[in-house]
Amino acid sequence: MEAFNNLMYGFSIALEPINILYVFAGVFAGTIIGMLPGLGPISALALMIPLTFGMEPSSGLILMAGVYYGAIFGGSTSSILLNAPGVAGTVATSFDGYPMAKQGMAGKALAIAAYASFIGGTVSIIFLMMVAPLLGRVAVSFGPAEYFSLMVLGLTAVVSLSDKSLVKGLIAAVVGVMISIMGIDLQTGTERFTFGTVHLLDGIEFLVVALGIFALAEVFYMLLKGGGGKEQPRNAIGSLKLSKQEIKQIAPPIGRSSILGFFTGVLPGAGATIGSFLGYSMEKRLAKDGDTFGKGNIKGVAAPESANNAACTGSFVPLLTLGVPGSGSTAVLLGALLVMGVSPGPAMLVDRPDVFWGVVASMYLGNIFLLVLNLPLIPLIAKILDLPRPLLLSLILIFCMIGVYGMSFSVFDLLLLLGFGLLGLGMRLFGFPAAPLILALILGDIMEESMRRALQISGGDWSIFIDKPISMWLLIIAALSLTLPLIKRVMARRSV
Amino acid sequence: MTRLNSNQVIALLLALLSVGYLAMAWQIPSFPLPRPIDSDLFPKVLGFTLLGLSVLLFLEKPKAQDVPDELDPEEQRLPLLLRPWSRVAVTAVALAVYALILVPVGFVLSSVALVFGLAAYYGYRRHWVNLATALGVVLGLYLTMTRIMGVYLPTGVLPI
Repeated sequence: MEAFNNLMYGFSIALEPINILYVFAGVFAGTIIGMLPGLGPISALALMIPLTFGMEPSSGLILMAGVYYGAIFGGSTSSILLNAPGVAGTVATSFDGYPMAKQGMAGKALAIAAYASFIGGTVSIIFLMMVAPLLGRVAVSFGPAEYFSLMVLGLTAVVSLSDKSLVKGLIAAVVGVMISIMGIDLQTGTERFTFGTVHLLDGIEFLVVALGIFALAEVFYMLLKGGGGKEQPRNAIGSLKLSKQEIKQIAPPIGRSSILGFFTGVLPGAGATIGSFLGYSMEKRLAKDGDTFGKGNIKGVAAPESANNAACTGSFVPLLTLGVPGSGSTAVLLGALLVMGVSPGPAMLVDRPDVFWGVVASMYLGNIFLLVLNLPLIPLIAKILDLPRPLLLSLILIFCMIGVYGMSFSVFDLLLLLGFGLLGLGMRLFGFPAAPLILALILGDIMEESMRRALQISGGDWSIFIDKPISMWLLIIAALSLTLPLIKRVMARRSV
Repeated sequence: MTRLNSNQVIALLLALLSVGYLAMAWQIPSFPLPRPIDSDLFPKVLGFTLLGLSVLLFLEKPKAQDVPDELDPEEQRLPLLLRPWSRVAVTAVALAVYALILVPVGFVLSSVALVFGLAAYYGYRRHWVNLATALGVVLGLYLTMTRIMGVYLPTGVLPI
């Protein structure tokens, strides 16, 4: 009953005309940016942050959440039509979506993606409503030691679950923390790594790094890979109608993958990408016609699409209840919230119920908007894929520059943005994952603060991190998450 | 002497960076009042961790994903200014110039020049459409930010 009352309170916020407009603007912008090959949800979120300046926190988060799940939703369109996923979370969708498009069933694949995403998103909001307050109650008992260990776990999980080298992931995370502690140490007033310039006294704004490492680096990468003038032919869309038989076929995979996706999203490090691959492989194993997966099986579109949207909503659980993001995308969301003056965490459910429940209720609306956008309007929206690439790239560049300048009014930050863009390109070319860097950048100084507060409480005794059972277990899981890939590699070598 | 692989070159650069970082961490002044941990401890831990990770990276063999893919040979035969790496370099220089002229020249003029110029350089040949898009988007952004969001953007040489 309490959850219902809270949800009604949330709807009273989400249904304010201005917030309805923000939900719509968020999902629409997210769908379009997510659809563009190469630009994922992190770039979409970073590009939209400047729009939230001066907004009410609940409205700002409603807009940003819409961008996030809109981007995941939109990514499926380019996966199906071009076999060029705009978002890593929709790669699995292309396995069967693109073959369907080649067989002239692109419309059907897009419709399945839209229904599956809608159901995945909606089911997971119900879980979010149930799980988040419970976790929030547990999190109230967390002290600085537990928070420090939780953040260590968040970082190690993101590193170990990325498909790139473990060492490179850890290097990216350490560099992210290094960047985050630049500037004046708020506890002692000491300057650290400012190189004597006043521009770095407040440290480096996370938006500069996020836009540089993701959006700008992506433009550079596209330029390097011939993104200048070449256009990719896309498949025609065709009919969007599904038969009763087809609906019956996709219903069970959608249900199973929605639940699986949600819980994958809650786990630190695992997000839409892992959720969608898990959903896809689970259905492939369960299906009697598993051998047709990869050749245009409709269940192969339904499963990853419901799982990735459910995982996207699931990733809001650690962000909103613990204040600790579990992925690069939610790290950018946290950054946006901090800019708006809101610190998510267990206290937020009590102190700012408008933000939490407003966002939850807005997600219901957002999913309906997405369905409406993606079904009748998809042939129209897909025309964005025909936008000449040279024009698109130069527009993304100006959005990045104005985003940073509008926030800091600093030419120095524009040059820093360029530097981070080139760093991001280098990281991409040499196999360094970018998500651990951005997560570490957001968590770094909070992590240091938690560590120092914990040590102040213990009088400098480091055993506080293992004396507290929750903290100890979090650190054990963090250590395990790092050793797991090594164990897997050793086992694989033995079995050869 | 065997040639160093990409991981080893990056590892050496990172090791140098971490040594420099540690040297700076040692110069962080201590807080006058005694505290369990001071401002320099965390940076020192980070510096040593990065140094250790550089050693591990030096020993790690690069996989396919750690080495940049071959660039399109057709594109490599283009005139020097249009080759892939030149595109990145020209864009980077254009952005740096944009940052430096933004305040004296103004947001509208410099942004239109950037969008139009880069799109034309990347190969977009419909110049009127290009100009109209650049003007429309930049003016739209300018008016939204200055009139609706109350964000100041440099006017430069234009009176608006």
